[in-house]
Parts: sequence; C-alpha cells; structure tokens
Amino acid sequence: MSLKDYILTRILLAIPMMFILLIVIFFVLRIIPGDPVLAILGGKAPQEVIDQKRHELGLDKPIIVQFFDYVGDLLKGDLGKSTLTSRPVWNEIKDRFPATVELTLFAFLVAVLIGIFWGAEAAAHRDGIFDVSARVYSVFIYAIPVFWFGLMMQYYFGMVLRWLPVAGRLSPIVSLDTKTGFFLLDSIITWNWEAFIDVLKHLLMPGITLGLVISSIFLRMVRNNTILMLSQDFSTAARARGISQRRVLYKHALRNAMVPILTVMGLQLAILLAGAVLTETTFSWPGLGSYLVMKIRYRDFPAIQGTIVFFAFFVIVISIVVDIINALIDPRVRY
Amino acid sequence: MKKVLLVLLLVVSILAFSSKVLVVGTTDKIRTLDPAKCYDYFSSNILQNVLTGLVDYEVNTSNLIPSLAESWEVSPDSLVYTFHLRKDAKFEDGTAIDASVMKYSIDRAMKLNGDPAFLLTDIVDSTKVVDKYTFQIKLKYPFSAFLSVLGYTVAWPVNPNLYPENAFYEGAPSSSGPYKIAEWIRDVRIVLEKNDKYFGPAPKVDKVVITFYESAATLRLALETGQIDIAFRHLDPRDISDLENNPNINVIKGSSPQIRYLVLNTKQAPFSNPLVRKAIMYAVDRQRIVDDVFVGLAQPLYSMVPMGMWSHEDIFPKRNLRAAKRLLQQAGYWTDKPLTIDLWYSPTHYGTTEADVAQVLKESLEETGIIKVNIKYAEWSTYVDYFLNGTMGLFLLGWYPDYIDPDDYLWPFLSVNGAKSMGSFYENPTTEAVMKAARVCVDQNTRSDLYDQVQNHLVVDVPNIPLWQGVAVVATQKNIKGVLLEPTQIFRYYLIEKK
Repeated sequence: MSLKDYILTRILLAIPMMFILLIVIFFVLRIIPGDPVLAILGGKAPQEVIDQKRHELGLDKPIIVQFFDYVGDLLKGDLGKSTLTSRPVWNEIKDRFPATVELTLFAFLVAVLIGIFWGAEAAAHRDGIFDVSARVYSVFIYAIPVFWFGLMMQYYFGMVLRWLPVAGRLSPIVSLDTKTGFFLLDSIITWNWEAFIDVLKHLLMPGITLGLVISSIFLRMVRNNTILMLSQDFSTAARARGISQRRVLYKHALRNAMVPILTVMGLQLAILLAGAVLTETTFSWPGLGSYLVMKIRYRDFPAIQGTIVFFAFFVIVISIVVDIINALIDPRVRY
Repeated sequence: MKKVLLVLLLVVSILAFSSKVLVVGTTDKIRTLDPAKCYDYFSSNILQNVLTGLVDYEVNTSNLIPSLAESWEVSPDSLVYTFHLRKDAKFEDGTAIDASVMKYSIDRAMKLNGDPAFLLTDIVDSTKVVDKYTFQIKLKYPFSAFLSVLGYTVAWPVNPNLYPENAFYEGAPSSSGPYKIAEWIRDVRIVLEKNDKYFGPAPKVDKVVITFYESAATLRLALETGQIDIAFRHLDPRDISDLENNPNINVIKGSSPQIRYLVLNTKQAPFSNPLVRKAIMYAVDRQRIVDDVFVGLAQPLYSMVPMGMWSHEDIFPKRNLRAAKRLLQQAGYWTDKPLTIDLWYSPTHYGTTEADVAQVLKESLEETGIIKVNIKYAEWSTYVDYFLNGTMGLFLLGWYPDYIDPDDYLWPFLSVNGAKSMGSFYENPTTEAVMKAARVCVDQNTRSDLYDQVQNHLVVDVPNIPLWQGVAVVATQKNIKGVLLEPTQIFRYYLIEKK
C-alpha cells in the first residue's frame, strides 16, 4: 500500500469510528435516567415552563429525529447550546480548552524529560543505583492516586512553604489581557512579565503533579527499549569502534528505542488532554476536564456530547498523525 | 542601603495596591448575568451588587425599602401598583433608568420566559408607562407578597442598549448599582469596580476580585495561604470548625433562609397513611443531624417557615419515640412485623454532607425498633425526575426562597400544583383556601394568623417534615470588616472594608 493510500484509508476509517462514538454517546445519555430540563429547573417551575424549555431544546421530538438533527448540526460545525447557560457549546469549549492544553503540555514536558533522561541513564547503568531508583520510582508513582498526590503538593508547597499558589491559573490581583486564552502565551505577547511569572507559578504544581504521574509510564518504556537496543549488534559494534558509552547511549540506542515510544507518547498526550480531570478538579484548574464533570452533574446533553465529540476528534486526529509519522519512519507499518 | 530602601518601597507599594482590592473566593459558578434568565444564587448575588431594583431590602433586615422607586401607591382593589421613579438613576453608559426602561425590562423578562419568569408571569397582567418617571404594573389577582417579588432580580431593569428584546444576553450587564463589571473570565474570575454613576453610597472598597474554585478543600487552602481575603460559599462544616481554631481567620456566622426538610409522598404507600407520616415526624432526630453532621453549623427547625421570619411558629413536636411507636402500632406495625421503607438522598446537589444526614436519619427512625430503613440515592437529574413522577416515597430536599415572604415557604409545598412539583402530592382544600386568603390579604397581622392556621394543618397532615435551617458562614482574614450575613441572603460586597 502506498503512503497516500495508507493516509487516505486511515482518514476514511476515522469517519465510521466517529459515527459509532456519536451514536453511543447520544443514546447512552438518553437511556440513563434523569432529565436535563428538570435538573436545571428543579421542581419549582410550573409545567408550562418545563414544557416550553423541553420544546426549546428539541427534547420533545422523537429520539431518532433528535439524533439526526444533532448530526446535521454537527456537520455544519454547530455543537448546540448548553442547556445550563444557553451559550453555544463551542464557545464554552473555546473558553476552557486553552487551560487544558497549557496544563497538559507542561505536564507532558515534565514527563518526557524525566522519562527520557532517567530512563536512558537507568538502561545504561542497569541494576545500578539509577536503575533501581528508577524502577522503585515508577512503581511508586504509578500507584499513587493523582488527587492525593496533588493534595500533598498543595499542603507542602502551598501551605507549609508558601512557595506556590494552591489553585487557579492567575492571582486575583494580577491583570492579564487574554487574547488567546493560553495565559503563558498571552503574557508573552502582551509583554506582561509579572503575569508570566504568576501564570508559571500557578502552572508548576498541577503540571508537575500530572507530569510525575505519567512519567512512570515513559520511564519504564524508555528504560526497557533502551536496554533492548543496547544489547543489539549495532550498539556492540559502535562500542567496538571505540565510540564513547554516552554517545552509544544517546546517539545509537536511545534514538532507535524512541520509534515505538513516540507512538505511545503521542497517544498518551491525546489521552492526557481528555483525562486531566482529577488534576483539574484538585487544583481548581478551569479546563475542559472539570467542565465535563460539572456538565455531567447537570445532564447538560449538548455540552457533554460536544465535549466528548471534541475530545474524540482530537484523539483521532493525533492517532492519525502518529500513524502517518510512523509510516514515514518505518515503511513496514504500511502493511 | 539603597537596595534596602528600594525593597521597602516595593513592599509598601504592593501592600498599598493590594489593600485596595478585596479578593473573594467561591466554589459557586456564574451561569448567566441576564436577570431575565438568572435563577441561581451566585449569579443573582453578582447582579445584586451591580444592578438596582424598584425596591431593595434595608441592610441586615428583611424590610422592603424604596430604591429606584422613591414611592408607590397601590389601588384600593390591590391590583394596580404605581411607582414614582427617582430621576438621578443611570446605567453605566449614562442611559437614564426611566419608566420606559422599566417597562422594557419587565415585558422582556416575561416574554423571554426564562427560568425565573414565572414569578412575574403568574401574577403580572400588564405594565404601563404613565409618564417619564411614573411606571405602573397591573396584577392578574391581588397578591400581598408582590413587592417582595420585585425585590428579586428578575424584575430589575436592564439597559435596552445592551440587552436584546427577543433573546437572552450572554455578556456582562451595564451597571446601575454600586459596582460595575471591569473584567469577566468565565469560571476563572470576575472583577467588580466602583461605579461612579450609582446614586447610592459609594462602596468601601474600590475593587473586588471574585475567583472561582472547584472544591471546598481548595477554597479553604486559598484562604489559609492568604490567596483570598474572604471564602464565601461553600466551606465544608469540618473545615469551618477547623478554621474557627485558626487565630489568623475570622469565621462569621449568620442566619440563612435556606431550609432542609423531608418530603413524604402522600399518594404512595405506606406514606399515604397519615399515622406512618406522623410516626416519622416524631422519630426524626434533628438535634443529632445538627450536632453530628453539621458540628453545630445549622439549627433544628420545627416549621416550614424559617426562624426569624414573621409568622414562624415552632409547631412541629419535639422528638418522641414513644409516640412514634404508638402510632406505628396503630398503623399495624410491630417489632416482629416492622415497617420497611426507602429513604432517598442526592449525593452531589446539597454538598458532601448529605450521605451522613441520610445515615443519621436512618438511625433515628430505626431507634423505634419498628422501622427498617434502606438508604437509596440518585444523582440530581434523576432525583428530580423521580420526585416529580412520584417514584420516591420519602426523600430529602432543600429550599432557597425566591422572595422573602412566608408565602414562599408554604404555597410552593402545599398548594395543589406546588405539592405535585415538590413530590408530596398533597391536597387539602381547606389549607388551599386559607393560603389563598393570605395571598390576597394586605394586613400582615391577619396574614400571620392565616399562616398559623396553615402551619397547624401541616402538623396534622405531615406532607413535609422540616429538619434544619442552614447557617450562612463566611470565613475572612482578620483585616476584613463589615461582612454582613443578612436574613435576605443578599451578600453586599460594597459594605465590606479592608483595614
């Protein structure tokens, strides 16, 4: 299969995948008990207000008609309006998504740095102190619940040492002209260095918490793959040619070990974007994860559907991109 | 030496700057700032600080006083209210708040039929501009609590230049009150700044920053680390009692009009039997809920009308297990043939304490030795569905008033339509007639007598059992003064000082 055909196939396969996901979310939300109109209005409102609201939201139509209406709107790029706030879901996602991206990228950076360097060193000094500590660390960190770890960080660095703010994205008395919603970027483009430092301080604790938790996966993968690569003939040959151990490790072994790891990292990034819920809740991070939790509580159908579709779209796009990169690097994956 | 001076100067300037800004933290969220749609506590709270209504409540009381309306007259048949508006009231952009603005706003709220609109559409027949500063409202029927309804934000004027006639408005309002909105990043923070065009007294602090937190634990940490000056809604009861022991924090408690109660579905067996309902009434242990779950941050309640409100009477009996047993035996239940019932609660809607409340209630009912309680729970949207459809027989619910009047604590629960929508399905033509008489009656003493009668009916029929009344709690840094927790639950930022 040529590269072009492969890319086309991957994209075409994503369409039924999205459609199946849409069907599942749409119908599961409606099968489980609970009515969004009643969740918003409670028992206080009179029946005619409830009926009118239901009509407004299209909930009085047959479920199958509702589904095709939804898909039709979706194809036009309309995710609907939140039943809770009446705002377009897309606007609410746009408000919240930059916070999640900022947190995730920061956490990812932390995880990758720890994973790659510690993992490589652990592989190079197998059974040494680096290696043993890396193995203990990864098991330990993997087992820790992220919210508990977050709370401990808040307590120690926020309460005891008072080094870092315990929650939020920006101090109340620091002003920032929000142009893109990415606060770090906003503070740079507006030359607001006070805000930049403040945003960075707010980002540190949740970012490190989330980063450490996922670093264990990377650490183990890098270590194991690098060990494998170090035992390959090309590494032995490199050493035989008198190339330094360090160069063999980083230039030869790690580079080859990274091919499968990149795939996992790419997908992990996508999953992270959708899964930072607990960290966001612990640190009151106004991202899309905490948004989804809030909306589930109120059975805000359009908001829940919109957010999940948005996440799914994101994960699918990233997985296609990762597949394409892999296909470019290693032609064998094109089947 | 120069460096030291420079640092000192910096510290002083930071302190001087920060002392002008009041920072408030909350776990609430703003849903909308359009009065025509706003029907949740925190959104109303913001509007109460940036807008003004025809009437207001006197600070720290539930007495209505003039605000935009300098005076008003009521026609002899109690159907037509004529308001004389003050001439110096303006919106932030200079637009005068006159009778046409009032008409535009109230007509708009009724036409858009948002969540709180029924408060007006149920009562208001029409509105009229008499002259530039005279505004008239005609009612469908006489309603003695009408002025209290006007005290709620749904009836407050909005700027016609900003708020569209046929659609809800998503943005920040054009201010007519003590503060204007300077910045609003949804779910992150909202910044209020002094409104120089406001006709009333100037706020004590020029700028208020309200920041939003996701959890009570984080809110507490933010207060303890000095990130915020005030923690306003919602700290957990255990955290509050810890904070009371913190020498750097002030914990202020005040009355709250929030009540919590049990609903008994009068159409569902075994609760359709008045003897069973009465037995439960005698068996509930309010004091234990207050002590064990709320560590004293609530008060046992013995009427649906809250304490501190006129016509309140401690009408429900104190706990009496012997009476409960006797009633259960009369209903045909014995120790070897116990009454098995389900008690429902919603785990998220009323905070983290609800499961504990259900557990204490279970224990207190089971102390009769004749009742067996199964605790069940459902997430809020399901819960509402269940109680509207009569699925649940015995369940916990809470109430925040829409307007400050005993009518709002009785009519919604006991009127035929109200009872259906609150899950008790109660019907009693006599109670209904007395409540209707109280609604059209103007004299407060007569109304009070009528509400006494209604409360007496409640103890006989027991469609609801009041359990406790909330205590409003705010925790602040030591240098914060002027925090008032008012009976009307209006939290006025403009009265707070930062020393």
